[in-house]
Amino acid sequence: MNRTRRIELIIGFVAAVAILIGLGMAIVGEPARIATAEDEILATQIDDATAIYAEQCSVCHGIEGEGIGSTPPLDSEALSTTDSDTLFKTIARGRFDTAMPAWSLAEGGVLSDYQVSELVALVQNGDWSTVADRVVNLGYAPLVPFTAEPDPEIFSEIGLLPDGESLQRAVTTYAAECVACHGADGLGTTLAPALNDPVVRAQTPDEIARTIDLGVSGTLMAGWDGTLDEATIDDLVTLISRWDEVPDGAVPAPDVPIPTTEESIALGESLYQANCATCHGVDGQGTGRIPALNVESFLLDTPDVAIEQIVTLGVAGTPMPAWGDRMTEAEIQAIVGYIRAWEPTAPAVATPAPRGGPPWMQADQLVLDESEPTDWRAVTLIALLLVASSAFVAIGLSTFRRRSKE
Amino acid sequence: MRRRATISPDTTNRTAAETGLDRARKRLKPPPVPTDDRARSRLVLDTMILHLHPARIPQRTLKWTYTWGLGGLAALLVTMLVTTGVLLLTNYTPTAPDAYLSILALRSNVWFGDLLRNVHHWSANLLIVVAVLHLLRVFFTGAYRPPREVNWIFGIVMLLLILGANFTGYLLPWDQLAFWAITVGTSLISYVPFIGGWLGSLLLGGPEVSGATLLNFYALHISFVPLSLFVLMALHFWRVRKDGGLTLPRAAGEAPVEKPRRVTTIPYLIRRETVWALSWIAIILTFSVFVSAPLEGIADPNLSPNPAKAPWYFMGLQELLLHFHPFVAAIVIPSLALAGIISLPFLDHLTDHEGIWFRSGRGRSLAMLAAGCSLALSSAWIVADDLFLDWAAWLGNWPTIISNGFIPLAIAVMVLALLDLWVDKGLDGTLEERVLFLFTFLAVSLVVLTIVGIFFRGPGMELMWPWSIASGH
Repeated sequence: MNRTRRIELIIGFVAAVAILIGLGMAIVGEPARIATAEDEILATQIDDATAIYAEQCSVCHGIEGEGIGSTPPLDSEALSTTDSDTLFKTIARGRFDTAMPAWSLAEGGVLSDYQVSELVALVQNGDWSTVADRVVNLGYAPLVPFTAEPDPEIFSEIGLLPDGESLQRAVTTYAAECVACHGADGLGTTLAPALNDPVVRAQTPDEIARTIDLGVSGTLMAGWDGTLDEATIDDLVTLISRWDEVPDGAVPAPDVPIPTTEESIALGESLYQANCATCHGVDGQGTGRIPALNVESFLLDTPDVAIEQIVTLGVAGTPMPAWGDRMTEAEIQAIVGYIRAWEPTAPAVATPAPRGGPPWMQADQLVLDESEPTDWRAVTLIALLLVASSAFVAIGLSTFRRRSKE
Repeated sequence: MRRRATISPDTTNRTAAETGLDRARKRLKPPPVPTDDRARSRLVLDTMILHLHPARIPQRTLKWTYTWGLGGLAALLVTMLVTTGVLLLTNYTPTAPDAYLSILALRSNVWFGDLLRNVHHWSANLLIVVAVLHLLRVFFTGAYRPPREVNWIFGIVMLLLILGANFTGYLLPWDQLAFWAITVGTSLISYVPFIGGWLGSLLLGGPEVSGATLLNFYALHISFVPLSLFVLMALHFWRVRKDGGLTLPRAAGEAPVEKPRRVTTIPYLIRRETVWALSWIAIILTFSVFVSAPLEGIADPNLSPNPAKAPWYFMGLQELLLHFHPFVAAIVIPSLALAGIISLPFLDHLTDHEGIWFRSGRGRSLAMLAAGCSLALSSAWIVADDLFLDWAAWLGNWPTIISNGFIPLAIAVMVLALLDLWVDKGLDGTLEERVLFLFTFLAVSLVVLTIVGIFFRGPGMELMWPWSIASGH
């Protein structure tokens, strides 16, 4: 009893000392830990904010916050020393009478308060050259010039319409200044509404002119009265009021292909696996009656534009939904880039998985790739499992036999 | 020496003139009154301890390798969780985005905030392990048989409450990990027959995990679950004493001890408990200084991680879901398991081998045999199901609840029945040995399922090697 008592007292003493040392270390290390935690949190927030910046802000503020045209630069010392509250309110609520819209969800925008505060952290502490790399890698650059060339044949056709010269001038201006946001033929994009639209045409010329002159506060639409002269704006009003007379295809979409980079393929892969793999198969091999994508017949015959259109608009009468409602153009192009990357290795004939649905119904779970070298860790693990289970059984059985005889 | 002198000033010399009446009068006197502060505080402390523990305990029950101090450790962990939890309450906001911000603030603005969170997190996870080990200890030493069957049931309810406390606490940081683990975990509720949808929206406060869920879980986590746990803990401790203390450990083949030698609780038991508690506090504290509780980015309902996994203690269940129809995996099998575990003391009620690990030498061999069989069979089943078992395709015209639910379940039950038949007839096992075999088999299967679920499931819940998951290929 005495020996046990001594051992117990020693263990107790050691434990008590360990508690004191542990607490002491926590106390001594606390300021450093708090500093590290602050840095880590800031770094994460800036990282998140950079992705948001690339997607939402770089259109106007430039790929490294340098500002484009009348949009102010963000990489200034004045802004990085502005207090958080002012920056937060500017981003959350927008700025009246400028192209800066309100971004907060509460104000009808798309960002949560937390995301806005992350952007504030970026403006205050961000490294803009890193931001530029990210924006380029995510496929949001180059953004300028976002202009288009009017189709020459249709352009001359327009000239034959009543007041054709004015329309021609307007088309030229539209192709240079407006197409980036309002899209080909004025049909609208995710950034701005369609102008080639009966509802817009129903407005009086004065109303349309006022919108162009003054802009729409709280949206990306800036006032153009400082940039365009009165005559040009009048031409644009004419075009917008009479767009139904202009043949389709007058202003094509700006030809700015978004480059495929390693990062955009990675983005495409994660989006594909999250949204498309359930039906089209993890490797694009198709499932059941859902067509395969990773197959020569599809990839060779279908250009990127066509895939992009299928993804954006969906296919009527099939389970393929219109993803344009849920993803940005850049995201869809990243998916297209990922699908395109299969082309060099695509098989001539696809072998679809039996059907979609839960994992237990999918046949190709454990991919046994014979070209890979033997994975010795795997072999060791299997061997260990076999040895352990058979040893348990063997020892159990043999000792059981012996004891039964006793 | 000095202490004794101060405690008992009353022991006057017994003189020859003392009569029997004097002696009786002396016995009726109240106990000696301590005269200094040290003695007074000691008396109060001792009295408090003796409210919880009996004054004397059988010396045998002090044996480390019998109880492993698991029940006491669980009680210690609950105490630590309450202490740290109450402190954490002062810095937590249970509303949707702010919850995450308050955790960030805890990390960056609060002195010892991280340490507090880490101790709470690791103690909570350890509590599950300890509670399960405690259950196994009680089962394998046969300490759940009458009259202890009531306490066995209290214990199982407490284990469920501990799981509930952990699960509700898991959501509170409101990070990606929390959000998706709870989304995966609560999605099973919809498979409860008839009332599943209603029950799900009651618990979640809506159709999906949201701010309302956070508030519900917060309320459950800080009031309902701990309060129920305290009541049951009190009952559990009371029943231990009511049932005559711990079962007496003995070696295989040793006859039951009629009159065990007893030692006083103070200091023999108390010293051990103190040493054990101090050691574990030291371990948890040191661990928490070095290893932080996980925290990912803020919860984003639009961005699901791949794979989305439930909390680790439910990974066995999630693994089961990959092999059976959800109704069978999430409702039928857990209900059967729970019913089985509750009915154990009524099936296996003979107290002959109480206090002997694995009942006997034969029992130890049988448990080992069961563990080996289970290790081999359950991993073989998991791999086979992944490679070629495809009930749904083979029985294409049947509803999947039959083809992929009850048919594989029936086959699994048949395998168990065959094994049981083998133990019964082939190995000439008694009832308690058959129960021991099946329990060990199923317990090891659960461990295998949990390990596979945690470590061997990669993106899309595909079967992968742990190192392939880590390297992202």
